[in-house]
Amino acid sequence: MTKELDCRGLACPAPVLQTKELLEQEKLSEIKVLVDNQAAKENVSRFLGTRKFEISIEQKGSDFQITAKRAETAGTHEPSLDPELSSEKQKIMVLIATDRMGHGDEELGKKLIISFIKTLQEIGGELWRLVFVNNGVKLTIDGSEILEVLQGYEKHGLAILVCGTCLTHFNLLDKKRVGETTNMLDIVTAMQLADKVVTL
Amino acid sequence: MPTDPNLIVGLDRADDAGVYRVSDELALIQTVDFFTPIVDDPFSFGQIAAANAFSDVYAMGGVPRTAMNLVAFPIRDMDISVLRSIIEGGLDKMREAGVVLVGGHTIEDPELKYGLSVTGFIHPDRVLTKKNLKPGDSLILTKPLGTGIINTAIKGGLASKQMIAQVTESMATLNKNAADVMTGYPVHACTDISGFGFLGHLSEMVVGSGCGARIGASSIPVFPETTEYAAMGLVPAGAYRNREFRLSMVDFAPTVDRILQDVLFDPQTSGGLLLSVAPERAKDLLHDLRAGGIHDATIVGEVIAEPKGRILVQ
Repeated sequence: MTKELDCRGLACPAPVLQTKELLEQEKLSEIKVLVDNQAAKENVSRFLGTRKFEISIEQKGSDFQITAKRAETAGTHEPSLDPELSSEKQKIMVLIATDRMGHGDEELGKKLIISFIKTLQEIGGELWRLVFVNNGVKLTIDGSEILEVLQGYEKHGLAILVCGTCLTHFNLLDKKRVGETTNMLDIVTAMQLADKVVTL
Repeated sequence: MPTDPNLIVGLDRADDAGVYRVSDELALIQTVDFFTPIVDDPFSFGQIAAANAFSDVYAMGGVPRTAMNLVAFPIRDMDISVLRSIIEGGLDKMREAGVVLVGGHTIEDPELKYGLSVTGFIHPDRVLTKKNLKPGDSLILTKPLGTGIINTAIKGGLASKQMIAQVTESMATLNKNAADVMTGYPVHACTDISGFGFLGHLSEMVVGSGCGARIGASSIPVFPETTEYAAMGLVPAGAYRNREFRLSMVDFAPTVDRILQDVLFDPQTSGGLLLSVAPERAKDLLHDLRAGGIHDATIVGEVIAEPKGRILVQ
């Protein structure tokens, strides 16, 4: 379904909020938003980008028409937290709070976690969320041995969430290369919606 | 424009506040600031407006002494108790700052506004402007960035309670302690971070001082959740304007993503002080700031001689 939204004359954050509200009301495959200023153009595009839409922008006089189409790859793994949008498949959430697996030999632990994340794909479509907190966020930054694999997962539609507080704590905010920065509320909400939570 | 030999800092200097010499021992610092509510709680709003208004005096190295309230209030639509709470919040910060309220003026207006006109004292030879950065100086920032983005999230009803509390407390915190601590150090230049954002105010400093600056992006203190809100499009229009205005002066390393760039341009309300200190004393100053309760104070970069008029963010 396509819907059009006229946000001309509205100051930020109103255009983003109206777009968000519309997306929450119904599942749309395409949405067009008309705005009349640069800030709204940037903010609405950015918001729709985080909801896995593909964006194109057309200038119409002094206004901007943002056309957003739901990206095809998002089909199998719905990134929205909206429970009604989820399928009947089991939803498995994996929470990774460390950059090594188990206690004991450190080097072995680091190898194991890489192997673990690589093997996670065997779960298939039921793998629903991959969440990184505490030392785990170090797996999502520049130079991480598992970065390419994670980026591949993300490209295939798996929602990867990375704890913002943790990135800030380690001064790694600008080094993160995969996943969406998230907060505790999102993590807790995801736990509640998941059928199974695996913590590492 | 009429000129006066006793005007030490005037409009043409575009500094934090005006400075007028009364005698060889005394100059007046004058500044005025008012705005619409940025938080729902009226007492907190009053505190923030006062802290924000005094900040310009602290940034000049002075001490605020007297204040007058400026109030625009929708008396037909809003209960007078709201106004009382706002004024109480302002008075609370005046007491803390040692400022006496000498008067004020109220008008009726459909949109609530509150602020203060502030007068402070300083020795005419000790005025601290934006325009005296020295190459080699360390740059210290005393509060985290992100109030503009978080206030946008608050407007949208999307900010967490904990975040609202944290950012409200920071905005209501006087820059008094930071200013007191820095008087004991060879601080060459100072400003407070407000509407132009961190990079906007730093731009004014490097242009005015004829040098450049190098900033370590990962060292910048940022409120939690700020980057998440920015990523979902909760960036105030002012941040984009600030960026457009100053982008030509800034070189971002490829590792500094767009979200972090927007945080660095985010307009701040009652932001921290950005000060430039001789490098050999920077660590001691930082230690004293933190010991004085300014826990977020951080060395964020350094002043460089070349390239002039440019900011490198790495």
